[in-house]
Amino acid sequence: MSKAFLKKVWETALGVLCLLLGCVLLFPLFYGLMGAFKTPAEFIAYPPTVLPQSFANLQNFEAVFTQAPMLRYFWNTLLVSTLSAGVRMMLALLAAYAFAFYEFKGKRFLFFLILSTMMLPADTLVITNYQTVSRLGLLDTYLGIAVVSFVGASQMFMLRQQFMASPAPIRDAALIDGCGDVRFIAFILTPMSSSVLATLFLQSFITQWNAYLWPLLVTNKTEMRTVQIGITMLTTLEGTNYETVLAGAAVVVIPAALLFLVLRKSITRTVGGGAIVG
Amino acid sequence: MSLSFHAGTRGKKGAFQAAKPYLFLLPMLVFAAGFVYYPFLKTCLQSVSIVNFRGEITGFAGFDNYLYLFGRRREFGIALENTFKLTLINVPVTVVLTLLLGYICCRPHPFHRAYETMFALPMVVSMAAISLIFKVLFNPSVGFVNYALGIQSGWYEDRHTAMGGILMLTVWMGVGFNFLLFLSAFRAVPKDALGCAKLDGAGPLRILLKIQLPLISPTILYVVCTNLILAMMTSGPILILTQGGPSRSTMTLIFFMYTSGYNSSNYSLAACVSVVTFLLTFLFTFLLFTMEKRKVHYQ
Repeated sequence: MSKAFLKKVWETALGVLCLLLGCVLLFPLFYGLMGAFKTPAEFIAYPPTVLPQSFANLQNFEAVFTQAPMLRYFWNTLLVSTLSAGVRMMLALLAAYAFAFYEFKGKRFLFFLILSTMMLPADTLVITNYQTVSRLGLLDTYLGIAVVSFVGASQMFMLRQQFMASPAPIRDAALIDGCGDVRFIAFILTPMSSSVLATLFLQSFITQWNAYLWPLLVTNKTEMRTVQIGITMLTTLEGTNYETVLAGAAVVVIPAALLFLVLRKSITRTVGGGAIVG
Repeated sequence: MSLSFHAGTRGKKGAFQAAKPYLFLLPMLVFAAGFVYYPFLKTCLQSVSIVNFRGEITGFAGFDNYLYLFGRRREFGIALENTFKLTLINVPVTVVLTLLLGYICCRPHPFHRAYETMFALPMVVSMAAISLIFKVLFNPSVGFVNYALGIQSGWYEDRHTAMGGILMLTVWMGVGFNFLLFLSAFRAVPKDALGCAKLDGAGPLRILLKIQLPLISPTILYVVCTNLILAMMTSGPILILTQGGPSRSTMTLIFFMYTSGYNSSNYSLAACVSVVTFLLTFLFTFLLFTMEKRKVHYQ
């Protein structure tokens, strides 16, 4: 038995151990997904099982889309998340541009003012924001759901870091050639930082997609609810049961998880960029 | 030609040039003012005012609202205690757990892409979905947990165990993102520092305590802070799973604020709770940062 071989065995054992840990961590998700295929009889049977008898039972998924206007909820959430993430990226991009490329009076103060918004947790402000949105007549509107998430101070900060790392001569050359600020942002800066922009957009999109407390507060009409509220309302509807609720959860988790698997690399890299090592 | 053209309009153009950066900042500042600073100031103002059910201020109340709030021990006192309990357990458990995961994954073992993805996946799972799954998983009669452990616990329906159930859920939700942060931090530790220590005969534990942990301490501080704020704001799982019950055992500050402000339209009371929550969160973060001066290592 050589030392190298023993080391290899040890490494593989550690890898397998990590895989097992991952399985334990993701067990609730697995249980939920499997439960979505069960029949009511299977669910109340003792002893309870994890795996369903057959994956052909799609009744629960059907129920999710027929007992509640789930397609409408998906559409609402898609619109609101796109609006929220889009406007947030635009505001952050413009502000980061000013902070990265301009010198002006009050720059430090304004920078601090925007970053301090991170110190005021949105959850403590929901009641007063509700009053504002209500007075603006924005209850039960897409804008009303999205408007409180337009300010993304951390996104602005990350973009500024990115812009400051870009070579200064590029902007000088562009401006000398008669390129205005707007054209510079649209045709040079945006393509140059497209991967960071895309990841930050996606991160904001998923945050809004998963939002619960605020959309619950500002929507009363059934047709204006978002998916997250839609699936929790499955628990209170008459004639629904555990299987339907789990199918609802699965329907919401699967798109986000697939998106994550596809874009795993760039998400990991951007999150990693936020890690600080002394 | 073009030179004289510029010379002729310098005054106007110069003013526009000087205003430009402010124009770029304006949209963000407008929304920051309208939906962060304005509601914050209004909340502070409402907390010392008499507010009617339409949210209009009708008079000055001084600290009466706060005295009334502090007098409601059976609700506010319990909410305060529960929130502290949640924060004091959630933050250390989440930080130690994700730190450990990050440490194990620091060097890539076989299958590392698979298990790293598994550890990170909870970050995209929505709070509502995982709360519903936990609700079924921990259901006293049909849930799998009671069966697997061979016990008869009521979990979210029993006032002794409901908070424990909420804690498990919030820790689960925090794993993904914090794990990724710690993983990148461990991997960013310079290889030569580790190599030197190894040559000097330092064991893995010594290297961890003397080199790796000090070097990633800024990330640890960041994770502690963000989780502290999140834990102080816990309300979503409570709304979905327990409604603050059974017998107020899971009533948290933000849930209390939500019910008194939205359900009972008692805006001044909600504002007081909000201000207290904000001040406590701010105080804790401030204390952490004073500790940072002594413990956290920046190069």
